[in-house]
Amino acid sequence: MSITHHEPLVLPYHNGDLDNTSDDPRQRMPLILGGKSFNDITEAVSSIAERPTTQGWKIAFAISLSLLGLLGFTLYKLIFTGVGVWGNNQPASWAFDIINFVFWVGIGHAGTLISAILFLFRQNWRTSINRFAEAMTIFAVICAAMFPGVHVGRPWLAYWLFPLPNQMQMWPQFRSPLLWDVFAVGTYATVSLLFWYVGMIPDLATLRDRSKTKVGQMAYGIFSLGWTGSCRHWHRYERAYLLLSALATPLVLSVHSVVSFDFATAQLPGWHTTIFPPYFVAGAVFGGFAMVLALAIPARQFFGLRDVITLRHIENMCKVMLATGLIVGYGYSCEFFTAWYSGQHYERFVFLNRALGPYQWAFGIMMFCNVLSPQILWSKKMRKNLWVVMFVALSVTVGMWFERFVIIVTSLTRDFLPSSWWVYKPTYIDICMLAGSFGLFFTLFLLFCRYLPVVAMAEVKSIMPQAHIHPERHDELSGDEGRSDYRPDERHRPKGNGDGHARH
Amino acid sequence: MSQIEHHQTGVTYWRSLEQAEQAPEVRSLIEQEFPSYDPSGMLNGKSSRRKLLKVMGASMALAGLTLTGCRRWPKEKLAPYTTSTENHVPGEREYYATALELGGVAQGLLVTSFGGRPIKVEGNPSHPMAWSVKGKQGSSDAFAQASLLNMYDPERSREVVDRTGAEPKESDWTKFTAIAGDIFGKVKGTGGRIAVLSEATSSPSAMDMKKRFLAAFPQAKWHEYEALSRDNELEGSRMAFGKSLRTRLNLEKAKVVISLDEDVLFSHPARTRYAADWAEMRRKGDKGEMNRVYIAESTFSVTGTVADVRLPVNPARLENIARAIALQVEVANVSGGEDLDKNNGEDRFVHSAVADLLKSKGASVVIVGQSASPVVHALAHAINAKIGAIGTTVTLIEDPAGDRPTHLAAITELTKAINEKKVDALLILGGNPVYDAPADLDFGKALASVPASIHLSHYNDETSRACKWHLPRAHYLEAWGDAKAWDGSVGLCQPLIEPLFGGKTPIEVLALVSGDAVAAGAVMAGAVMGGEQIVRRTWKEQYIKGGDFEKEYRKTMEAGVLENSASPAVTAANTATSYPATPAPAAGFFVRFTLDSHAYDGRFANNAWLQETHDPITKLVWDNAAILSKKDADTLGVKQGDIIRIDGNGRGLEIAAFVQPGQPVGVVTLPLGYGRTEAGSIGNKLGFNTYHLRTTAGMYSISGAKVSKTSNPNYTLATTMEHHILDDFAMKNALDKRIGAKGETGMIVRESTLEQYNKDPRAPHKKQHGGGHSLQLFNHPSKFNTPNAWGMTVDLNTCIGCNACVVACQAENNVPVVGKEQVLYHREMGWLRIDRYFKADTATYEKAGDDPNPQVVHQPMMCVHCENAPCEQVCPVAATMHDTEGLNTMIYNRCIGTRYCSNNCPYKVRRFNYFDWQSKAPTTGWPDPYVNFPDKQQLDQIDKIKAMVFNPDVSVRMRGVMEKCTYCTQRLAAAKITHRNEAFKEGKPQGGGELLTDGSVITACQQACPTQAITFGNLNDPNAQVVRLQKNPRAYDVLGELNTMPRTKFLAKLRNPAEGASAPARGHASSPAPSTMSPSPSSSNGSTVPTPSVG
Repeated sequence: MSITHHEPLVLPYHNGDLDNTSDDPRQRMPLILGGKSFNDITEAVSSIAERPTTQGWKIAFAISLSLLGLLGFTLYKLIFTGVGVWGNNQPASWAFDIINFVFWVGIGHAGTLISAILFLFRQNWRTSINRFAEAMTIFAVICAAMFPGVHVGRPWLAYWLFPLPNQMQMWPQFRSPLLWDVFAVGTYATVSLLFWYVGMIPDLATLRDRSKTKVGQMAYGIFSLGWTGSCRHWHRYERAYLLLSALATPLVLSVHSVVSFDFATAQLPGWHTTIFPPYFVAGAVFGGFAMVLALAIPARQFFGLRDVITLRHIENMCKVMLATGLIVGYGYSCEFFTAWYSGQHYERFVFLNRALGPYQWAFGIMMFCNVLSPQILWSKKMRKNLWVVMFVALSVTVGMWFERFVIIVTSLTRDFLPSSWWVYKPTYIDICMLAGSFGLFFTLFLLFCRYLPVVAMAEVKSIMPQAHIHPERHDELSGDEGRSDYRPDERHRPKGNGDGHARH
Repeated sequence: MSQIEHHQTGVTYWRSLEQAEQAPEVRSLIEQEFPSYDPSGMLNGKSSRRKLLKVMGASMALAGLTLTGCRRWPKEKLAPYTTSTENHVPGEREYYATALELGGVAQGLLVTSFGGRPIKVEGNPSHPMAWSVKGKQGSSDAFAQASLLNMYDPERSREVVDRTGAEPKESDWTKFTAIAGDIFGKVKGTGGRIAVLSEATSSPSAMDMKKRFLAAFPQAKWHEYEALSRDNELEGSRMAFGKSLRTRLNLEKAKVVISLDEDVLFSHPARTRYAADWAEMRRKGDKGEMNRVYIAESTFSVTGTVADVRLPVNPARLENIARAIALQVEVANVSGGEDLDKNNGEDRFVHSAVADLLKSKGASVVIVGQSASPVVHALAHAINAKIGAIGTTVTLIEDPAGDRPTHLAAITELTKAINEKKVDALLILGGNPVYDAPADLDFGKALASVPASIHLSHYNDETSRACKWHLPRAHYLEAWGDAKAWDGSVGLCQPLIEPLFGGKTPIEVLALVSGDAVAAGAVMAGAVMGGEQIVRRTWKEQYIKGGDFEKEYRKTMEAGVLENSASPAVTAANTATSYPATPAPAAGFFVRFTLDSHAYDGRFANNAWLQETHDPITKLVWDNAAILSKKDADTLGVKQGDIIRIDGNGRGLEIAAFVQPGQPVGVVTLPLGYGRTEAGSIGNKLGFNTYHLRTTAGMYSISGAKVSKTSNPNYTLATTMEHHILDDFAMKNALDKRIGAKGETGMIVRESTLEQYNKDPRAPHKKQHGGGHSLQLFNHPSKFNTPNAWGMTVDLNTCIGCNACVVACQAENNVPVVGKEQVLYHREMGWLRIDRYFKADTATYEKAGDDPNPQVVHQPMMCVHCENAPCEQVCPVAATMHDTEGLNTMIYNRCIGTRYCSNNCPYKVRRFNYFDWQSKAPTTGWPDPYVNFPDKQQLDQIDKIKAMVFNPDVSVRMRGVMEKCTYCTQRLAAAKITHRNEAFKEGKPQGGGELLTDGSVITACQQACPTQAITFGNLNDPNAQVVRLQKNPRAYDVLGELNTMPRTKFLAKLRNPAEGASAPARGHASSPAPSTMSPSPSSSNGSTVPTPSVG
């Protein structure tokens, strides 16, 4: 049964943004504001890639690029001198290398969750954010994949991790979770990249058609794979997208489960727990949404996308973050309970030590950032306050990094034999490399923002009222696009060509 | 077939007519190009197309793809091996007996030589002072093991240095000989005085050369000086017997040992044998009886860590304790000894010690340390006589150099003579007096005024730089000589290699300067032959008088020691009529000087192996420090690494503090041997020169010192183990559970008292599950398909933590050193470490007023070769695997260094090459980026001389790979090959199976261990000792609850506390409250002095 509105919807303003966050079931809130036409969307998104390079972008890019240079320097030191330039030591054989790896892999998860799972569940609000969430996934996975590659003692042999036929007849050792990681992350990176790229093809075609420079026409032309917007193309596209999202969905769960096996299958107290897979996945989604928010809030301001990425989008993401944050908090407490309940001395000690030992400060940061700070999001008022949301998002990003620090460092530095206990201290290379990985991420991200469609135009249009003309009802502004049973399939698709590319 | 044969009849191709005609020039060109091919074959077209393609493919692969064709190999010179040494088979190891003399006492050694270079030092199993099993295992100590590295130290001096001019200049032996002739001739002619300052030596040849030298120069005076000597013992013996006698202990007969500040198992020159004898008595614990060691000591010593009753005391109290014991065993003419301190447990210590002494008359002994005054030594002689120790637990023998003045008197006299301008020429044979002579003598300043001074030394050290001439000294592995062990057994030393840097030995230099008719010419002619001439002459004159000299000499050379040459026991009546009391010490701190476990007296300062071997007690590396008790540190407000100032004897020293549990209150221990300025790049600027405080007024201890904290910035001390003095509640709880609280057994370290063990052999394990998990998914994995299943046991009851095994492992397995900065990062590489745990009464520790007297456990820890190895499952590239004999193997070539195995190893025994340690100098922290093909780094970087020390059977690991104990897999392989070859010889074609029996393989650590705490063998051999020991009720798996099923088992420690003083071994429930010997903190009425620990 559908609900119709007869009064025009008047949205209140909230801190300069139209507030479309009302949960009143009688009022379906529009997801795109400002009475935009299809052309407005195309203009808003394409102009970001088409206008001359702005000063702000240049400054941001210069900063990112210099951080990337720092990464280059640390990698040079690392590869030519030895892994010893890090602070890793005898009990703590892993530290920043694997912390950063797990952190970045985790970040990626939100992108896949938004693009795949929310797509399958017909959560239309995803369309505004899925493109750059997916981009974030790709770049985060690139950052993540770098770390295991260079953390090995002989990075020039890191390719031995792959099952390549070779004259030694040596295969990787399939019982090792590190090898599972290779497959999990490799699959994840491939599927995410495909998903991102396939989703972008119609938009690339739009950019191609609008491009006034030869280079742009060539480049966008090559990557839009000859898209013409014919029905056949759309059909193939929709099927492919659906299949890829179905493929990507299990990956949301599998990748971080497998990454958690690095720890869960080890016998080290503090690592050897069965709760890790679900708790890592929840943590990854939690941290990933925080990162999406931390990127989306400034991006919508700078790129003038406040009507596309609306308060409702932000609020929805806050809710996901709150829910996953609670799962993570449950995971933390459950670990303590299990340790106590096991009655096992080593297990108990590792958790006492985690909370009260030399790294209690890290534990404190983790608890504050991941468990306490998201609680503020119970308040709707706070969810609409972008400063608060930004604070929570950054806090969770920091907290999730520290979660990995706590898990890896506290467990390793004090394990079974007290003779081996030692304190881990990072060196300047460790810290520069972490900063440098952000440089890599932001360099890629800024390039993406500058040259590619940051919002999935075609998809956004599909959820706009104009895309949803019911010939039998003519209630164009009914807000039915918010319905969960809404399907932007062929039947609803308008045949007219509004602008640029063939579809609208 | 037709295809293959086709070329015979098919078309022939040629490039030129000459080729077709097989012109000789063409043939020769082809011969040059393809030396291994038959030119006619190539020209006749006999090679098939298939072969051509094969060759082309291979050439392309070699030249093109791998770029080897483009590589320019460095030019190398090859020396043909035309004249072979007798019995030498290239690639086979050879063993030569020799001896290392340290402080005038020899240690018999058997040195392995490979390809003409010595690569490993072991104890000489034929030597009576080095313990041996079935004639195969000779044990040694850490210094002997590490002495090999000194031999290959590229910083050893390489030439004669002439400093007579303004600038030092290189010279050579010929010039020196000429000038020495001038100097000595002139002095002789003018009636001037010559002085010789020698190290302590027991060498008969040196004695002989000394006699000849003195005959040649009648006006010469001979002085002997060692920084660490046993002169107080000598004096004590003179006091007791009227002559210098040496005490040879027979600890294997001693049921009760009372040590007064004597570190008999670690610092005594006969430590190797004594530790073995002590362990012999210790092992009897399994038969229900065990020796009991009491120790009253002024600093924590290795013997103190394994003593059953330990009393930390101020050195000033030692004499009192000795007097009290003497009084109670009714020694005549003793006075004093009544005022025993009741607060610190002196009275209880003496009481139970005496009770035990009297109970075991004839099987007990009192021993006294080198730092104790002569009176205490004299008292001990009297007590030993009274309790029937002489002739049983103690044998008195003549001291080989008993007629000499003390070293202190000798150096004082020499300095005085120099200052009075009486010395015209001074010849210093070894030693480093400018660095280690008593500070108030200011020997360096005096030396500068000597007109002609000559120093023979391994290094261009402090003394060399103060002398007019420096002569490079030959290392003992490059030299002919002879020396006497502590028991007087005389042995021969033979060189294993020609002197690398043209050094000469003291006897050769004496021959040179005295113009010895037999030797001087030979010394100059051949590099090492001169020394041999001297030794042969001495032996012909003194030892092998009749019979076939060559045969006997050769026999002795092979054995390393002259049969039955130990000094005979002498009987001596105790003639002491009084024991004059030492004046009461001044109030203030006592400063105690000790030898250092790394540098000895400073001579091993440039030895990186020793520098990085953790001290047995402090676990310090690369430094020394002032060792303070917790209570004193609290009073002074000093923490570890704070710089304190010690003022005493009118001199001051600023030194970093190290807080040590179990250190007596009011005593600061200063290890000697650091703060070197001219030791070399390794030894320079390490630690603090404590000789600066050591004066003629107190060579071993000074009283009345003032200690204060300075505001200087902290000094970073590197230890391999943190002290963990109760950081927090969680840690305390963990340590009590794992290690056990004082007198209790723990999960990882298990122990019990002898009494409880006798009642119930499971006593050490009571809290624990029975072994392992009986339900297994698979069959017991130890049933592998080869006859050998290797296993090990480590006996915590006999381990004394002396580090012999640690250095032996390092030498055997090419284990690198990493340097102090990297130790601070905890990246040390030792495959075998000794975990030292304190068990103190933690309740008392937190109260600033009390200082605990902790018990100590040494737990050697290396790869235990789990059958269910957690490391193997997690390696993604299969670089660590299990072999059929149960070894957890490490394949370096395959390792890419994910370090996951180390994370998953519960024993944390895997070691990672964070840098290319072998090519990095340990003194540099982080190496600079090294831009080259990384796999080639070692080839280019490792010093060619340093590389000579490597064991050729063990890979030198590059950076980025993991490594760990292999159970000495190279020795296993060698033994299997030998075994198989022998089986073939006997006509058993299949090698007769490979069941290797006991003794065919001895691991390096096992071989070095003086107490035989480590046993290795084949678990499939029912008669193997290791099988028997693994069935011992004390045996347990460390962390067995993880189901790792380690192949190395540990044997629980037994303690034998004094009767009536038995502290509970197993917690509070089963035993009475702590009794007289260890008052509980509440009943000690605020006592601020330590109580004896009850082991």
